[in-house]
Amino acid sequence: MIDRENEEKTILEIRNLKVNFHTYRGEVKALNGVDLRLYSREVLALVGESGCGKSVTAQTLIGLLPENAHIIEGEIILKGEDILKKTKEEMRILRAEELATVFQDPMTFLNPVLTIGTQLREVFTLQKGLFVEALAIARTKGNLDFTELLNKQNSVFQTEIKPSRRETRKVVNSLCVGILRLVKLPDPERILKQYPFELSGGMRQRAMIAMALARRPSIFVADEITTALDVTIQAQILRLLKELRDKIDASTLMITHDLSVAAEVGNRIAVMYGGNVVEVASARTLFAEPLHPYTQMLLRAIPNIANPVERLESIPGTVPDMINPPPGCRFHPRCKYAMEKCAEERPKLKEVERGHEVACYLH
Amino acid sequence: MLGQSVDVRKGEWEARLADIKYMLHLFRKNPLVMTGTSTSLFFIILALLANIIVDPNLAYPEGYSNSMYPFERKYMWSADHIVNWGSGIALYQGSESFYLGTDGWGRDLLKMMVLAIPTDLYNATIITIVAAVFGTLLGAVAGYVGGIFDEAVLRITDVFFAFPGLVLALVFAAMFGRTIETLRLAIILVWWPPYVRLMRGQVLSEKEKPYVEALKALGAGHSRILLRHIMLNTIYPILVQATMDFGGVILTFSALMFLGFSPSPALPELGNLAADGYGHLFDAPWVMLFPGLTMLIISLAFNLLGDGLRDILDPRLRR
Amino acid sequence: MKSPAISTEKRVGSEHLLAIKDLKVWFPVKSGVLQRTIGYVKAVDGVDLNVRKGETLGLVGESGSGKTTLARAILRLTKPTEGEVYFDGTNVLKVDRQQMRKLRRRMQIIFQDPYASLDPRQTVSSILREAMEIHRVSSNKYEVNRRSLGLLRKVGLDEEHLYRFPHEFSGGQRQRIAVARALVASPDFLILDEPTSFLDVSVQASVLNLLKDLQKDLDLTYLFITHNLAVVHHMSDRVGVMYLGKIVELAEKNSIYRNPKHPYTFQLMAAIPLPEPEARRKEVLLEGDVPSPVEIPPGCRFHPRCKYATEKCKKEEPILAGRNGHLVACLYEIDFSTEEVAGEFVNV
Repeated sequence: MIDRENEEKTILEIRNLKVNFHTYRGEVKALNGVDLRLYSREVLALVGESGCGKSVTAQTLIGLLPENAHIIEGEIILKGEDILKKTKEEMRILRAEELATVFQDPMTFLNPVLTIGTQLREVFTLQKGLFVEALAIARTKGNLDFTELLNKQNSVFQTEIKPSRRETRKVVNSLCVGILRLVKLPDPERILKQYPFELSGGMRQRAMIAMALARRPSIFVADEITTALDVTIQAQILRLLKELRDKIDASTLMITHDLSVAAEVGNRIAVMYGGNVVEVASARTLFAEPLHPYTQMLLRAIPNIANPVERLESIPGTVPDMINPPPGCRFHPRCKYAMEKCAEERPKLKEVERGHEVACYLH
Repeated sequence: MLGQSVDVRKGEWEARLADIKYMLHLFRKNPLVMTGTSTSLFFIILALLANIIVDPNLAYPEGYSNSMYPFERKYMWSADHIVNWGSGIALYQGSESFYLGTDGWGRDLLKMMVLAIPTDLYNATIITIVAAVFGTLLGAVAGYVGGIFDEAVLRITDVFFAFPGLVLALVFAAMFGRTIETLRLAIILVWWPPYVRLMRGQVLSEKEKPYVEALKALGAGHSRILLRHIMLNTIYPILVQATMDFGGVILTFSALMFLGFSPSPALPELGNLAADGYGHLFDAPWVMLFPGLTMLIISLAFNLLGDGLRDILDPRLRR
Repeated sequence: MKSPAISTEKRVGSEHLLAIKDLKVWFPVKSGVLQRTIGYVKAVDGVDLNVRKGETLGLVGESGSGKTTLARAILRLTKPTEGEVYFDGTNVLKVDRQQMRKLRRRMQIIFQDPYASLDPRQTVSSILREAMEIHRVSSNKYEVNRRSLGLLRKVGLDEEHLYRFPHEFSGGQRQRIAVARALVASPDFLILDEPTSFLDVSVQASVLNLLKDLQKDLDLTYLFITHNLAVVHHMSDRVGVMYLGKIVELAEKNSIYRNPKHPYTFQLMAAIPLPEPEARRKEVLLEGDVPSPVEIPPGCRFHPRCKYATEKCKKEEPILAGRNGHLVACLYEIDFSTEEVAGEFVNV
């Protein structure tokens, strides 16, 4: 596994993002200045326990925060633009073209009354560019191999001859079948005619991934997509993701609470705690030399078959109260290395070694 | 060490008190609900004090029994009685001594309405409580036990659902005579089915919840599970429904009275008073207007109260 | 050299606290207006399992394996269709309600969902007090108080938590309350049904530590059910793997992890993501979905997904047997390192 460090190709940058939620009990300071960079063609795993803000970060990115959320500060720069300044309509277009998301529970995100085929066709119908390319290839080559269409081509295809209805249908159909084959769904023709409830959890997840890939996004957001799956099915999906990782141009932001899953699929891993990113490193480095005390304790809390212990190390104290969070570094009450400075001001994320950033005064 | 620790039960009360305070805070936020609540409270207090504020005797001419209920004697219409009542002037429009005018018998309409409020509220309370309690218990047991018993209860409930209240009241009046008790019974019989359905649905979904299974694993018996756990957790929608129903019951009760089921035309009751004014709608509209408006306001007030209850109780349930 | 004798899990000895014999839990599938039974969901389809006093027996499996149904059947929360369950010599399935109540004092369960296994309207003190009432353990006010506090402290909570409602606690704390509740009557045996699946990693660590401490402290026997192979490895002495209602492998923990003998077990092990980015990954061969217990394949129930399946596998159902305490339900002996079938499994 090669560590990808393409600083010139930062595709997404989140700077000092602060998001609050209004609730009866008070202001929940969910994101406390999140800094994050996503490079091109990489998989960045965003890990953290519940309440750390990883899902909120993703929601802010795709522009689907709930009503009571307020973005206090910060920027999200995608392709040179701060997308936080965009209108709802612009965000909608962005979601359609650049940002594809796959969620944890495909059953609630697939329309239960439409067949998979109908939903897929809808996606393709909205992707004019893809359709035109596919049409061109179909006409010149005779058949359609979806792998050629995985990544957006920069050249523009001209179509002088308008496609007939029959031709359109044929092309769209091949696209559908092709993309289902890409996500390793067996018997795609049959699946196109089925409804979401007729598929198993793993298959639905693949269908969702297919729909996301069909949009050929620049950024693919996967929010806990394997959490609800059985171990063997999870392994299949992770293997699929690894295969796709090398084929597609898109970058993936993979959100998970499972460090082992992050180790399996991620090129780099970012650890979040209490609304901040506390450490970012390549997967290998993070596990070999974790620098932030939280990361260290987290790694020791995971039961590891290869390294069994008598007692797991648990982190003393509890998750911070996000309405009245501890001042300064939000981890300091539970940290055995805490110094006075830690309670005064929050340490910022800074690069300690090449590609390894930590937010801690110890470094 | 242990001697200093708090009595377990007292600590519980403190905890529940804090809970209630949270509820009240939510309550205060909604102006519509506050209006409904205060109006309802107003009427309840009025009902309690009515007989003190207004002399109940004013409702009946000399010779009739002082107590309003039970009212057993049949009233006889006679031209003489009209002349001998109240101030002696029939169909008198508003003046300083009659704020809302008089009704067909020359009684002060406002005073009659005040006397009518306890009648309506009292009967509505009885009806609602009996219907709700009966329906809820039946629905709870049916939902919990299931099987044939459940089916049977459902079918019987369906039968009663089909009854139009009016027809039933007619039948009852014909069979058992026109008294307040029969009227109450008729309305109760029509009003309990929705509670069965409501509670049964609640119980059905609640009994699948993990904490019920946990209680079974502990060894808890069925009655404990149903009464102390399931019902307490599902009682809120019933309370809400009952409060909102209250307005509906008043309307039904008054409507039946209006249609002629009143045991006595002199009975101070909003529907009864309105019925009196029906014949004189164009020359003395106030006789029907004011009791009708009052019915509307009471009903609306309790409806809003129920609505508010639902709003504050619902998010709590989603904890 | 004489090879060691083949054993099965049928023999029950005095060291066994719990003995399950040929347990079946079948749920009828009804259809049509007349609700005729057209088939069965065979959630548990013939399980023999013994749990020794003081041990932690881990039970792993994916969805549809039947492990959760098995747990419920043991405690009679679900009615078994066939088979017997002996707890310390008593047939659990045959006792009357009175006796069952007494038995429940000795066998308790911790459920998976800490957010739903406590009545949201009860304070912690009420929960514990009620448990004492149900188990008929101490009735006077001060005793109840004292015991409640004692139990809370044992699970790492304190007096201040007594008067709070479940929703004021975190997931980990709620599980602790559930544990305290289970310990009210001083049970010997605890079934833990995925107790940490819904908890964060660090919280899971502290709950698992608590469970281990309590086991030593109170001399408890555990049946630990989970789908998380790393957790079960950490907690158990012996591990059983379930597939479609049957146990397909049962052995000492190290034996089963280092040397799995059943193809399904092997696949499970290969599928676990390890917290080690550079770990060499074994090729995951298992295709297809986790099957449903409505249509169980004939013969060996794993054969449709097994890369070594033969014609014989489609017809003959293997029994759970083996040597040296390592039991497998497979017709062949397979060496997974070389991926060779070493030979047929010689049965008793």
